[in-house]
Amino acid sequence: MPDDPAESLLIERIRQGERELFYELVRPHERAVYLVAYSVLKNEADAEDAAQEAILKAFRSLAKFRGESRFQHWLIKIAFNEARMRYRKRQGEKLQSLDEPAEDEHYTPLQIRDWRELPPEVLERREVREEIHQAIAALGDKYREVLVLRDIEELNIAETAQLLGITEATVKVRLFRARLKLRDTLVERLPAHIRGKKARA
Amino acid sequence: MILDCKHVWREISNYLDGDLDPALRRDIELHLETCRHCAALLDSTHNVLVLIADERTFRLPIGFHERLMKRLKDEVEAD
Repeated sequence: MPDDPAESLLIERIRQGERELFYELVRPHERAVYLVAYSVLKNEADAEDAAQEAILKAFRSLAKFRGESRFQHWLIKIAFNEARMRYRKRQGEKLQSLDEPAEDEHYTPLQIRDWRELPPEVLERREVREEIHQAIAALGDKYREVLVLRDIEELNIAETAQLLGITEATVKVRLFRARLKLRDTLVERLPAHIRGKKARA
Repeated sequence: MILDCKHVWREISNYLDGDLDPALRRDIELHLETCRHCAALLDSTHNVLVLIADERTFRLPIGFHERLMKRLKDEVEAD
């Protein structure tokens, strides 16, 4: 998918020498880049450093951006690579093996009889946001990465697959696992913060 | 086709993405009309996805933008 015309024009002007326009180009994508780094590194300070380094790398190599994909996707890919490199360095080991146990064919969700919808206003509470952060951080790496791209960055299945270098079928399987695991965790934990009791029937 | 709960669970994620053929979608909706547990599973999963997509859930660290601008400015000037 090509970039939008305004973004393409900005990129062209930067290439022609108006280097300071890069601030304007990158501003709408700061959060997306940070979240990708956070999804790999799982802490704010490391994610910020990786995200900023990725943006600097994008600035230095803007000439290599050919406009075959959206600028944001190109940026996200750089951020992923930067964060994964730092993660490996930090762990002193390879990324979690992709040969994890087979997908659970016999998943049984946490059973509840009713769900009283939690409105978005609950996100004003710090403890609610922290529960969500912890639940996402607790997912396996490959599940968290798919969830962040698809459900937080709101990329589609094909874009998510392309960015991660996996098939669309694999994206769907991992997304299923990630969503349901996250749901099970939060169904147990969130209502306690909001109503002072558990939602389990 | 009459679906059991396990079949519905497996398809919940694809259902939320609108990524099912119409016949299976219809069968799931028929099941949801009569199965309270599966309806609660769908509602709560949808609710969780709405919450995590909300911009308030993940905010940039305070001062992120200013620190980034400084690093970029240094880079532009050194260029």
